Amino acid sequence: MAGMELLSDQGYRLDGRKATELRKVQARMGVFAQADGSAYLEQGNTKALAVVYGPHEMRGSRSRTLHDQAVINCQYSMATFSTAERKRRPHGDRKSTEMSLHLKQTFEAAVMTQLYPRSQIDIYVKILQSDGGNYSVCVNAATLAVIDAGIPMRDYVCACTVGFVDETPLADLCYAEEGGGVSSLALALLPRGGQIALLQMDARLHQDHLERLIEAAMTACKGVGKVLDEVVRQHLQEVSVLTSD
Amino acid sequence: MIKTEKILHLKSCRGRKVRVVREHYLRERVPCYSSLCQADCANDGKVLPPDLTHYVVPDAAVVVDYLEILEFRELQGIVFTQTACKAVQHSKGARQYNRLRNLLKDSRHDCVLFANEFQKYSYCLREKGESQEKWHTRCVYSAAVWYYNHLAGMIPIVMITEDQDAVAQYSCLSSGVYVVSVQDYLQMFWEQLDAARELYSSISQVLQEKESEGMEKEYAEHLPAEVLEAGIKSGRYIWGTLNVNKHRAQNEASVMTEGISKKNSDSSSCVLVRGGKNRNRAVHGDVVVVELLPKSEWRGKVTALAEGQGEEKSGEDSESKPLPTGRVVGILQRNWRDYVVTFPLREGPQSQSRNFQRILAVPWDRRIPKIRISTQQADALQDHRVVVRIDSWESTSLYPNGHSVRVLGRTGELETEVQTILIENSIHVAPFSDAQLREMPVNSPEKPWRVDPAQVVQRRDLRESHLVFSIDPQGCEDVDDTLSVRSLADRGLLELGVHIADVTHFVTEGSLTDLEARSRATTYYLADRRYDMLPAVLSADLCSLLGGVDRFAMSVMWELDAHTLAVNNVWYGRTLIRSSYQLHYELAQALLNGEKAEVPELAKIGSEEKDAKLAELTQALELLTHIARHLRAQRDRGGALELEGVEVRAQLDEEKNITALVPRQPLEVHETVAECMIYANHWVARKIQELFPHQALLRGHPPPRQEFFQQLVESATARGFTIDTRTNKALADSLNRAVDPQDPLVNRLLRMMATHAMSQALYLSTGAQSQDQYYHYGLALDRYTHFTSPIRRYADIVVHRLLTAAIEMESGVGPHRALANSKELEEMAQHINKKNRAAQRAQKLSTELFQCLFFKERDPQTDECCIADGVIYSIRDNGVLVFVPEYGVKGPVYMKNREGQVVATGQDGSCEWQSGSVRRYPDHISTTSSCGTSTFRLFDHITVRISVQSTHCHADSLNLEVISNKPHHSTKPQQPHSQGHCQLVQEVVRLAEEAYHQAQEKAARHHKFSREEREFCQSKTPNLYSLLEEVRELALMDLDMVPQVCATTA
Repeated sequence: MAGMELLSDQGYRLDGRKATELRKVQARMGVFAQADGSAYLEQGNTKALAVVYGPHEMRGSRSRTLHDQAVINCQYSMATFSTAERKRRPHGDRKSTEMSLHLKQTFEAAVMTQLYPRSQIDIYVKILQSDGGNYSVCVNAATLAVIDAGIPMRDYVCACTVGFVDETPLADLCYAEEGGGVSSLALALLPRGGQIALLQMDARLHQDHLERLIEAAMTACKGVGKVLDEVVRQHLQEVSVLTSD
Repeated sequence: MIKTEKILHLKSCRGRKVRVVREHYLRERVPCYSSLCQADCANDGKVLPPDLTHYVVPDAAVVVDYLEILEFRELQGIVFTQTACKAVQHSKGARQYNRLRNLLKDSRHDCVLFANEFQKYSYCLREKGESQEKWHTRCVYSAAVWYYNHLAGMIPIVMITEDQDAVAQYSCLSSGVYVVSVQDYLQMFWEQLDAARELYSSISQVLQEKESEGMEKEYAEHLPAEVLEAGIKSGRYIWGTLNVNKHRAQNEASVMTEGISKKNSDSSSCVLVRGGKNRNRAVHGDVVVVELLPKSEWRGKVTALAEGQGEEKSGEDSESKPLPTGRVVGILQRNWRDYVVTFPLREGPQSQSRNFQRILAVPWDRRIPKIRISTQQADALQDHRVVVRIDSWESTSLYPNGHSVRVLGRTGELETEVQTILIENSIHVAPFSDAQLREMPVNSPEKPWRVDPAQVVQRRDLRESHLVFSIDPQGCEDVDDTLSVRSLADRGLLELGVHIADVTHFVTEGSLTDLEARSRATTYYLADRRYDMLPAVLSADLCSLLGGVDRFAMSVMWELDAHTLAVNNVWYGRTLIRSSYQLHYELAQALLNGEKAEVPELAKIGSEEKDAKLAELTQALELLTHIARHLRAQRDRGGALELEGVEVRAQLDEEKNITALVPRQPLEVHETVAECMIYANHWVARKIQELFPHQALLRGHPPPRQEFFQQLVESATARGFTIDTRTNKALADSLNRAVDPQDPLVNRLLRMMATHAMSQALYLSTGAQSQDQYYHYGLALDRYTHFTSPIRRYADIVVHRLLTAAIEMESGVGPHRALANSKELEEMAQHINKKNRAAQRAQKLSTELFQCLFFKERDPQTDECCIADGVIYSIRDNGVLVFVPEYGVKGPVYMKNREGQVVATGQDGSCEWQSGSVRRYPDHISTTSSCGTSTFRLFDHITVRISVQSTHCHADSLNLEVISNKPHHSTKPQQPHSQGHCQLVQEVVRLAEEAYHQAQEKAARHHKFSREEREFCQSKTPNLYSLLEEVRELALMDLDMVPQVCATTA
């Protein structure tokens, strides 16, 4: 293929969005009763389910116990039906392991782990359908799940991937854009303070452009943050109505 | 904010059928780009004007097949739908799609793009089982309806389609939206536009034929793109641009590989493709993928001279050593352009059906295969040159199919031939449009143009303070450069100023004139005419720095040390000047030589005043020459080359008949002016590169490839000279040494060969290349750009803008416009490079055309003009290559003709054809016949007869024929120009160094002594220590003289 035009002369992307527009985000919290917290989040066609157990006592090897804070344990997996071609190995491959590690780092920065010494928090995330931006969707879903579990966090963690095409940063890449030779960057942000929980980029990008790209990513993350906030408030309203009855 | 809806796409990926789901976002507000819009659409950029009778919305199929018709500037108000653009991208590939994009960007065309698939109300979901064409048509129709409703019915919308069902289905659905076929549309609305209608019929005929093609395979199929890509990555295939050999167009072509040339540099940079089957439908200029053949089938290049036309004999020609040989397996990118063809003369009436004739037309460019064209006007077009485009080349057909676009005129007429040259080089020079001319300032006798007082305040006024003058060729209208020089005696400084026409003041970025100038990129100079880059009011009047009138300029001024000529200070900025003298080269030279010459500007004033003014001018010129010599010497030490090209000017009388061919006479003052311009360019390049390290436009000259010097080295060896080609300095020095006192032409020819070996100087964007590639090999400067001719080169306009931005930035005001980024600049540089090459080729071709016309009027057997002296400069298998200095003609001379006869020399040196044999040696060629053996050596002078070889389909060419092995005229004792120059340079170098020494010594002595006096109370007379110390310093200075001088002057 000769390479698709990722950004048309009129400023439209492949799916009709403008450069700074996010995909449509829909989310629900508390989808599983049996877990401590859970959430389902769709960002365009990328769909993820996040489940949180804990904080609870350390399981498995006790040697990992930290005496002043909780241990966060993350596991990322993709459903076999999540991509166009059936996936052979849903979890445990290098990519998933890396992703798990990234999630762990992100949430260690956001969850107030020092409140739960000698305990463990498990976060499991599963991608049900993959259409680009898997990491950021996982982070966003997991945030909602952690909030649903009632674990205190410094702030929402909102993540977004951005790419750089024709000197323009594109927010929230879809799969076609990620594959189109764009240098992409994933950023997880604590929006209120503007702290960066994680920043990951493994493509070539000129140094001069980095600042603009991060700027665009932060704006996009703040947009995501607003949506998440709305979802949480909505959920609380529903729950409070239910309990008051 | 946005509505979302999702659509399903079925797509196969890597051969397998895969179901892919993609999102598709729709919005209510999509700009309509019409100035009639009532709904406040965000229409930025190009909008459709309100005063049209209708808007036309072409169907996807129409855009794909008939884009050429829609390119007519007369067709206004075209709304391209996104659906149609996508269809073009998918079915025609990147090249055609880019053409459409450029059309949309070009503000000279009234057309816009409507993103109908992102508009909530005009988007149609593809229904199950609906064919793609039907769906496209439905989308386009719904877009047309949307337009009609959006503009509240203020303007009728016409949708044009080729689908007759669609016409029937939609035409009566809604009022105000008319659906018609292309043919009806052209007939109803554009009846006067015959060209469009003809183009339509010629394209539609081609399309019809395509359906009824035969199925025998003439060529192997091309491989699919994925296989090619995988092959290139794995190294199985090689890709590059196909280059067909001009002299053996049917058989020999080579592929210059681009992909791998960097890794294994010289070993396999060129792959030979032999024969039509192996070339597999690739046309000259295409980007192709080749597969190497097994080594046993490798062949060499044919080294014998080919007789321009006629069938090639195969097999018996001797070949060079085998080169990698391959065959074309696929084509990555077609590079088809417009071709000029000639319809062959018909022998007799042929019985074919009347309205349907296919004709094999012969392209003017020999490298292009014959093109099959079907036309109804074959009889009318006989013996005419016609512009055609190639449509396709199926594997079933021996020749490509094309369609005619427009008729140029009868063969052999001057106008036709000049147009042919322009089109073959893809040069489009339509007259400037009214809209462009309206942007121009007015300067007429009734309304003379005046200097804006606001500008006077902003600019530095040099009108009173400086003596400004220009030196140009006689009769020059576009004066872009003027010079000034004066001594600031009180500070021991000289002030040299170069003042360049301030074109950017009149041509604002993004204006129509600017766009036109950018697309032309340069003024095209042909032998008898020129096509200006800017409208005449600018190029010949307001921008041109004419004598005696106030003009805006962009200046670079240096303060030089009067003694060492080291640069003290440089000033860049906008100025207001009034040129006092508009000299021409011959006049300036005469003034310098102290000859009596009449300066037209001084004709009217009294003799006393006149003498004073003349003295002032002469002094300025002398000072200028002095500085220029110094600058030249400085560059020579860095290794600047002095190269030689052939330049001939056709002298025309009023009726454009050629009276003579005149080679250009070099004068020293030419060099003086050139040197100042080079200096200005260099300093501007430094400035903009320092301030904009990523987005400055420079001109680099890459070092030549060593293997190209082979001919030069071999030829020089034959004469006993050694040429060192390792660096430019070494080359320049060895060329200076290679002088034959008996024959100045030897040196000239060697220089010409060196020029031939050079790579081309190119514009580049500093952001796109590394710093060492900025180097200018020929001029031996680390940075160089073009700044001094903004009237005739677009690159200079860009540089002017950069310099203005640089000055603004330094004065603290940020540039008020965003500068072009590196990528855009690189694209522009490529574009300008391409156009420059085209301009050069066109100029060369037009000179050749006039050379032919000159000799065509003369009878070669009787006219004295046709017999001339020629020098052999290269030896081939069956002949030699000869240079005729008198006319600047180069060409082959055959020692063996087609009947196998060879040239035999008689006693008096005259030659005749006899049967015999030819043998080639490295530095001579000898023929053996019954009369004995005759030998032709390299650099021998022989007498040749020049005649014109007329061909029907191609350009006429000159034919050289040897008539004697003695020189025609005895060689005139002519003082070689270059030698004189060398001496001069050496002298200047010596003088400069001495001056430098003295200055240094003086400074050192003064400093040292005063200190020693103070500290040690020593006597003033130099003691032994200081004498020795001086000697030591002198010795040191001799060793690293060169870098030091450079450092202080740089």
